Amino acid sequence: MSTTSVTGSGRPGFVWAAPALAFFALFALLPMLAVVVLSFTAYDGLSAPRWTGLDNWVRLGSDPLFTESLQLSFVLTGVSWVVQTAVALPLGVWLAGRGRSRAVLAALFFVPLLMSSAAIAVLWGTLFDPNFGLASVLGPLVGIEDGNIIGSNRYAFAAVIAVIAWQYMPFHTLLYQAAARAIPAQLYEAALIDGAGRWRTFVSITVPQLRDTIITSGVLIVVGSMTTFEVVLILTGGGPGTASRILPLHMYLEGFRSFDMGYASALAVVLLVLGTTLSLVIARVTGYRRMTSQREGM
Amino acid sequence: MSATTTTTGPAPGRDAPPAPAGPPRPGRVRRARPNLVGGLGAGVWFVVVAVPLYFLLVTSFRASSDYLSDGPLAVPSGLTTDNYLEVLSSNFPRYFLNNVLVAAACVAIVLVLALPAAYAIVRSRSRWVARGFTVLLLGLAVPAQAVIVPLYLMVTQLRLYDTLLAIILPTAAFALPLAVVVLSSSLRDIPGELFEAAVLDGAGPGRVLVSLVLPLARPGLATIGIFTALQAWNGFLFPLVLTQDASVRVLTLGLWDFQGQYGTNVPLITAAVLLSLLPLLVVYLLGRRFLLAGLTAGAGR
Amino acid sequence: MSTWSRVRRTVLAAALATGLAAVAACGGTAGPQAGGEAGQLTLWTLQNEGINSVQQAAVDRFNDTGGPQIDLTTYLNDPYKSALQTAIGSPNGPDVFYNWGGGNLKGYADAGQAADLTAALDARPEVKQAFLPQVLETGTIDGKVYGIPMQGVQPLSFFYNKDVFAQAGITEFPTTWQGFLDTVDRLEAAGVQPIALAGAQSWTEMMYPEYLLDRVGGSEKFQAIADGKPGAWRDPAVVQAMTMVQDLVDRGAFGTNFTAVDYDNQASQALLTSGRAAMELMGSWQVTSLNDNFPDFLEQGKLGWAPFPAVEGGAGDPSTVIGNPSNYYSVSARSADVPAATDFLLTQMTDPQYVQGMLEKGQVPALTGIEQQVASAGPFADFNTYTYDQTKNAATFVQSWDQALPAAEAQTMLTNLSKVFTKELTPQQFAEAMDSAGR
Repeated sequence: MSTTSVTGSGRPGFVWAAPALAFFALFALLPMLAVVVLSFTAYDGLSAPRWTGLDNWVRLGSDPLFTESLQLSFVLTGVSWVVQTAVALPLGVWLAGRGRSRAVLAALFFVPLLMSSAAIAVLWGTLFDPNFGLASVLGPLVGIEDGNIIGSNRYAFAAVIAVIAWQYMPFHTLLYQAAARAIPAQLYEAALIDGAGRWRTFVSITVPQLRDTIITSGVLIVVGSMTTFEVVLILTGGGPGTASRILPLHMYLEGFRSFDMGYASALAVVLLVLGTTLSLVIARVTGYRRMTSQREGM
Repeated sequence: MSATTTTTGPAPGRDAPPAPAGPPRPGRVRRARPNLVGGLGAGVWFVVVAVPLYFLLVTSFRASSDYLSDGPLAVPSGLTTDNYLEVLSSNFPRYFLNNVLVAAACVAIVLVLALPAAYAIVRSRSRWVARGFTVLLLGLAVPAQAVIVPLYLMVTQLRLYDTLLAIILPTAAFALPLAVVVLSSSLRDIPGELFEAAVLDGAGPGRVLVSLVLPLARPGLATIGIFTALQAWNGFLFPLVLTQDASVRVLTLGLWDFQGQYGTNVPLITAAVLLSLLPLLVVYLLGRRFLLAGLTAGAGR
Repeated sequence: MSTWSRVRRTVLAAALATGLAAVAACGGTAGPQAGGEAGQLTLWTLQNEGINSVQQAAVDRFNDTGGPQIDLTTYLNDPYKSALQTAIGSPNGPDVFYNWGGGNLKGYADAGQAADLTAALDARPEVKQAFLPQVLETGTIDGKVYGIPMQGVQPLSFFYNKDVFAQAGITEFPTTWQGFLDTVDRLEAAGVQPIALAGAQSWTEMMYPEYLLDRVGGSEKFQAIADGKPGAWRDPAVVQAMTMVQDLVDRGAFGTNFTAVDYDNQASQALLTSGRAAMELMGSWQVTSLNDNFPDFLEQGKLGWAPFPAVEGGAGDPSTVIGNPSNYYSVSARSADVPAATDFLLTQMTDPQYVQGMLEKGQVPALTGIEQQVASAGPFADFNTYTYDQTKNAATFVQSWDQALPAAEAQTMLTNLSKVFTKELTPQQFAEAMDSAGR
């Protein structure tokens, strides 16, 4: 690979980027290609992969669990986006204001950020225990007499979404807080002179000013929802039945419980396509693509 | 064009340090009337966040015998640190050490690989670099689960199964795209004249990297370092599939395992959860700005 | 992008992909032998704080004879299954490996990965006759022995809280299904949850239909399913067993929140020992587990146990037990030293010291004529005697469904079963779903 640029320009050549690219190719890209290849095989780990052509893909088309898990993943993504944005945006704006109490609150609000998904799932698993956890105390207050939240078809998935929101909300709040602080004060002064009320100001000044942050935060919520895995695994295992079996979990169970690694690979390809599409959207939206320095305001 | 976004809204994605401190910001105009609605909403959220955390803290100091008999929210009759001692006398410190090793190794790999790559991306005119960058961008949001099956096979073939390396290598690989992206955005802010001046002095790319880029890239490096460390610290899937032995277990799995082992001993589990979040809590209290900067370096997960 | 570079890229991708497929293929079609050089054998077993030391002692005794040396490696349950699946027969695979017998072992035997031990066992009749035939059966595939029982027998029984039964005025554990239903109703009337069920895991739910199908239709009904006979899942007996399961659910036998109760964190055991529930159907490991987690409960003599009731008019033999007949050691067909590995199994698994060590840990080895040792060893002698007699006198020892079926079918069955318990599927729908998921 002697693609170094014109010597004497003092510019770094390809060789400087090569180690990172090689490393990425070996441990990320190669498996990505392999998963595509494996999706055309029957493979149980025991004997060599057998080429089965489109069998896995045909099965994918008729697997009700796949459709269900894909739907659940989309619902998770959509609901997470709505819920997290609806809470994080106003909360972030409010926290951007001055005041001692707000600073203290802000410090507390961000604590869930410090916990790993596993720790959060373990904590909430304990809270949701219907006989010995908080659910046994709080359940009856909200009409769930037996405290059965994560074991019920009706509430289990909602509980998962709520826990994920609890985990990531602080992060998005943080984004909005930082963005709200950067809104020029003159805008508010002008609104005050016009006699606009608090709500009017919020709708016509704050929200438009936060447009970019709404996009960023939204993209991140989508990525996060698509990759959520351990919270569901630890909290419900995808249950009851298949009520919370999202696509990544479905893939994991097919691959490492049923040992149907060929079919799991086909499911993984779907994840891969979703992820790559998302990456493209992110690159487009954020302007990461630009390689050279251009001074342009966003 | 990244770190300082004080006059316009933060450029999406490029929100490196969110500049929480700094001079008194030109904030919202104080009004006479306090914001009741906002306060109320924040109050509700406060309860949602605080109750589980209160539960976590208080329960971890309760005797396990009290817990089953008194119920989860009872005010504990006595406080004890036995749970903590018991957790610390288990395998927990070992898991903790494994986590530190994994996080440190991942950060080292990512920093060493990402800096020259970002430098090449910003300064090189090679088409191959551009293509490589495009490939990295494609990996920006690819979930690690998608490649776990072939990765598992690779790791067993390479005889890395049940080693910390099995966790470190893929974790670092999947943290690379974002690291390169964030770092190259921060390197773009270095004025071209500086590079040209260095080259006129006869410096080769190596010297430019060490004497010019490295000092200026420090904030960016700190950001991606923190971000990668968090990724590695909280990783779950790679350890779950690629290791099994207690000697190479990391905290996240250790917690899960703990819940299985001492399930109804809730006080013990809460103590373990708290201990697992302690290091980050310390970092948070000492270097809040830094940590938040790392968190917001693009993905926070 | 130019055409040229597109071609180049495609070629590169294809090369990478084939390379990886080749790497993956190595996993299955292994090199010449497993375990590396002769004279060094590896044994893979499950992590179990109680009995690992007993296993290590057996390995040490074997190593002291100066022949090939065995090295013992322990695994956790879930990772073990995937590790074994992908490593067996490869250079880093084991020579001797732990398995569940039955369908689980059949997979390895069919893939040519497990060594046929029949001849070696026939050459030592005294060893062959030492094993309980019902249990050795599960290590036998198509008439050939592939697995040697290495652990305690694990039949499923009801474990009940004697205090709770007494408070509800029940003196005897019921022996008929009708009696059982009456007991459930009486317990409920007394304000206790009749049965603790850790329904967050479906394998605990599975124990009910396993027994009911056998009691209603006889052991051949599940045998047909395990053999993959077409239409076996649609048998009326399957539907009836599922109907009886849903009847229990409707009666409130399991309470209402069982789907959120976890076995792995002892939540169901806590219900049983705290008196909030009266009984639990579980494997024989329950006693050691209760002893670890709720020692007071055992010390106060509150634990009772009883076999699953007979179903009036059912075709099954009420003496039949269900569970894990035992676990097994098998020898990898690609081991560098199959004779030595086999020798280890045939000398150590029936060794008196090994038997004694297992008994002291609450495990009852699957051997004939050890009544004396069982009755006198360890803190659980009473329960062990019950377990041993139950196994010895069983007409058949039926293997748990999830172990007897191929992995993929077992997972589908567990998922559908959990939907039967939550009433998302009717018994008929369950039978049809399993039938169409067939192999």
